[in-house]
Amino acid sequence: MKKIVILTVLFFVAVIGNAQISKAELTATGLTCSMCSKATYKQLMSIAEVEKVEPDLNNTAFIIYFKNGSAANISDIKSKVEDAGFSVGELVVTFNFNNQQAENNSSFTINNSTYTFMDTKSATLNGDKKVKILDKGYIVEKEYKQISKMIEKYPSYATNSKNVYHIKVL
Amino acid sequence: MNKIFLIAFLFIHLNAFSQELFVFTEPASNMPAKSIGIRDMNALMYEKDGKLNYHNMPELMWGINKKWMVHAQGFISNRQEGGFEVEGGSFYAKYRFFSEDDIQSHFRMALYGRYSFNRADIHQQEIETMGHNSGYEAGFIATKLIHKVAISSSISYERALDNKPNYTFPPTESNSAMNYTFSVGKLMLPKVYTSYNQMNVNLMIELLGQRLNDNKKSYLDIGPSVQFIINSQARIDIGYRQQLYSTMERTAPNGMIFKLEYLFFNAFR
Repeated sequence: MKKIVILTVLFFVAVIGNAQISKAELTATGLTCSMCSKATYKQLMSIAEVEKVEPDLNNTAFIIYFKNGSAANISDIKSKVEDAGFSVGELVVTFNFNNQQAENNSSFTINNSTYTFMDTKSATLNGDKKVKILDKGYIVEKEYKQISKMIEKYPSYATNSKNVYHIKVL
Repeated sequence: MNKIFLIAFLFIHLNAFSQELFVFTEPASNMPAKSIGIRDMNALMYEKDGKLNYHNMPELMWGINKKWMVHAQGFISNRQEGGFEVEGGSFYAKYRFFSEDDIQSHFRMALYGRYSFNRADIHQQEIETMGHNSGYEAGFIATKLIHKVAISSSISYERALDNKPNYTFPPTESNSAMNYTFSVGKLMLPKVYTSYNQMNVNLMIELLGQRLNDNKKSYLDIGPSVQFIINSQARIDIGYRQQLYSTMERTAPNGMIFKLEYLFFNAFR
């Protein structure tokens, strides 16, 4: 019964939360050269929801701007980077929150993706907030091993399921 | 013994040297998925009698997905009497089975295979399915990138078949060989990136060796090259291949390589 109540509450939080992704800051790994960076840039530009990509060649980083009101899916970023031949080393996503309660292990859902707070101070989030994606494939391997040590506190982290993300508010 | 010292000397000195787009060898990395590349390789090789052989090898490359890429290549040359002739072609496939990425570094491993057909005469003991012999090659490549330096090495088995319809492979010669390569390259320019339009300059040096399985004859070549990347999309390679030693018969081991390459990103969506 308690679970159902929690799930129901989470469901409403999700709906009321109504967050939106406006921007993503990506650091790609596995590359140095400008040809590799351009390949990544071209792949990112091929995502329908992407409005603009600003590359930073020296840091193999990209700022990805999404079209207003578009249903951006961050798994597209990962698959496009991998199509270019490289990996995601860091992905920081800017959410525009509207009264979102941040609580470790609590979640909200937008555009069929579920985001669970992790390693985050409890707060009510409003406006643009940067969150870092902590799941495998969105951070470097070394960091993944570090975070995996917190698995007892965050049981859902081990599931690694599609469209379920763990986020840390920065 | 001197050869060993020479190689050791080169390795030590050249570690200071390119990027992972080599001129004489393929890296374990693949081209971007859903992209098409065109390449034209030109080789001017000097025959012992002073004649200059011109080989032209146009190539079409396709990145199917992040793991698989395929090439189709044609072989044209004026080596035979009668001027330019289309002598053959080849199909090449590469499968990247391991990839570990970190900030400005990676380690990759790949398997590849090539099948070639050629109708030119068989004129040397060296086995070369790129433009000389009908046959096949299967190999393994490992490539490590650390910031601006890339190191790559490969080993392959190469088997020559008859150059049909007119030339059978001489039964007294070794029809198979092992090939070994070692490549290092370094991104020299620009020191700091400002845009995709900047020209990039890579310097590289490669060692290419072969050992014939039946008679144990071998050769080792060195291939220094300079590479210009234009608009982060086009490549111009200028290289020279020089035999360091050979115990097998080769008709034209030394010469210039001039290679042009252009990448069409996201040719398929």
